[in-house]
Amino acid sequence: MGMVKEFFSGVYNLALGLVTTAKYLPKRAVTIQYPKVKMQMFERSRGTVVLLSDPETGELNCNACLLCQKACPVAAITIKQAKDAGTKKRYPEKFEINMMICCYCGLCEEACNFNAIKLTGKYEFATPDKDSLIFDKDKLQEIGRDVKYEAKKKREPKKDAVPVKKAEPASPTPVSAEPEKAVEVKAADPVDNSGQIDIKGTNQ
Amino acid sequence: MTLELKGLLDWVYTIVSGIVASLGLPEIIRDVALMLLVIAALIGFLMIMALFLIWWERKVSAHIQDRLGPMMTGWHGWIQTVADALKLLQKEDIVVGTADRKVHFWAPVVVFTACLAAFAVIPFGKGLIPTDINIGILYIFAITSFTVISLLMAGWGSNNKFALLGGMRTAAQIISYEVPLTLSVMGVILMAGTLSMVGFVESQGPYFWKWYIWPQLAGFAIYITAATAELNRTPFDLPEAEQELVAGFNIEYSGMKFAMFFLAEFLNMFMVAAVATTLFLGGWQPPLPGLAFVPSYIWFLGKSLFLVFVIMWFKWTYPRLRVDHLMGFAWKVLLPLAFLNIFLTALGVYIF
Repeated sequence: MGMVKEFFSGVYNLALGLVTTAKYLPKRAVTIQYPKVKMQMFERSRGTVVLLSDPETGELNCNACLLCQKACPVAAITIKQAKDAGTKKRYPEKFEINMMICCYCGLCEEACNFNAIKLTGKYEFATPDKDSLIFDKDKLQEIGRDVKYEAKKKREPKKDAVPVKKAEPASPTPVSAEPEKAVEVKAADPVDNSGQIDIKGTNQ
Repeated sequence: MTLELKGLLDWVYTIVSGIVASLGLPEIIRDVALMLLVIAALIGFLMIMALFLIWWERKVSAHIQDRLGPMMTGWHGWIQTVADALKLLQKEDIVVGTADRKVHFWAPVVVFTACLAAFAVIPFGKGLIPTDINIGILYIFAITSFTVISLLMAGWGSNNKFALLGGMRTAAQIISYEVPLTLSVMGVILMAGTLSMVGFVESQGPYFWKWYIWPQLAGFAIYITAATAELNRTPFDLPEAEQELVAGFNIEYSGMKFAMFFLAEFLNMFMVAAVATTLFLGGWQPPLPGLAFVPSYIWFLGKSLFLVFVIMWFKWTYPRLRVDHLMGFAWKVLLPLAFLNIFLTALGVYIF
């Protein structure tokens, strides 16, 4: 008797399995036909790094403060500072991100005080040429053009005046132009002379 | 009735015999020419069918797993298998240095020939049977047994331990399951009183309650189970167990030889389904006489493809059996059930 019962329960369970798979057969596929249909990436997804630039003037938000370079845990960012002779403003002469070693941690975006560097939802940069994966300034600006522009942060006076923030070499406003310059001169000269290796060395 | 292919066949017969008669050739030439035409048409149909079945298997598996499967080539990827076949044709044919070359070469030929030869007695429609021999079902079981030797040849000739293990498992499994497979058909043979494939179809008639699946439900279940095992498909796919044996007996094959194994596997699946249709589901007969306006070959193909779908459905539902369970199931469950089925059927045939 037990054998008969076991037989019928076995048949029942086999049928149950078939019914389960049959239920999935007419369901809509959960996959996306990738090259034709692309997934809408989330707003805060961390993909390719871009540099934001003003859509009207084409000017980068970045003023080469080197904070992102210091924050980068894998040393993927290489910045060379320079100073505009006319306006006396710093700008990045060279801004390279090595996409082969970038780990998309987003620490550079967190470190940036000027809304200059962003991680976007873009992820398609596969290439047969390895060298083209070192994105230079123009390339980073180019792929950042269709990213939603956020204006350079202005200093918010008398609010959140933590001493740590004061120490940071940050503020593009003309009011603080003098102290900023002072910091810049101190930081920039040794950097420019000794190259990037020192900065990275201190970072590590 | 105009949709039936019988008229076309008669027309071809008239033309060929007319040509042969006008040239003054002997009658044997006419028969050979007609047979070659039939074989060419059959092989063409079967190649298309095999490619279609591979595509269909991929689609069924994909949709069961909530995917879409091939989508890029043609409508829902219907040319995908053609592209795959063309790709395999161009591929280099690699023979392992240590392989037994003759055995290695002949294995795919044997499996493919055996598979095609079995279709010689399948009644595809009314009057659409390549050869109506009076021992059709016996012929099918004899011919399909060649699969064992060819798969064993493939495993042995490759000189690879995985291939040999796969071949050995195939031999053990197919020989074991051939016994319940053959015995499950005995019930139908007893009820129909014939061994001819056309005889089975005609003894069932165009009423679906007269089909042998109802009195022979146990026989049908045993047949489908044993046939799945014969085909080396999940849940009985130990010979090809990808996770254990990489691919089993066909691991050392590449290019067109591999394609031949692959096509033969799918053609065997269609063959098993076609035999089950003929024996249990009334062959090319419509379910009701009023539905006879649909051509007979459509009914046959529809029923066969449904059974093929059921076998695919098994594959994407059940996990693989353990090897001792596999053997135990064949000898301890299916064989006694098949004998019981034969006994009860014989009793019923004797009484009524």
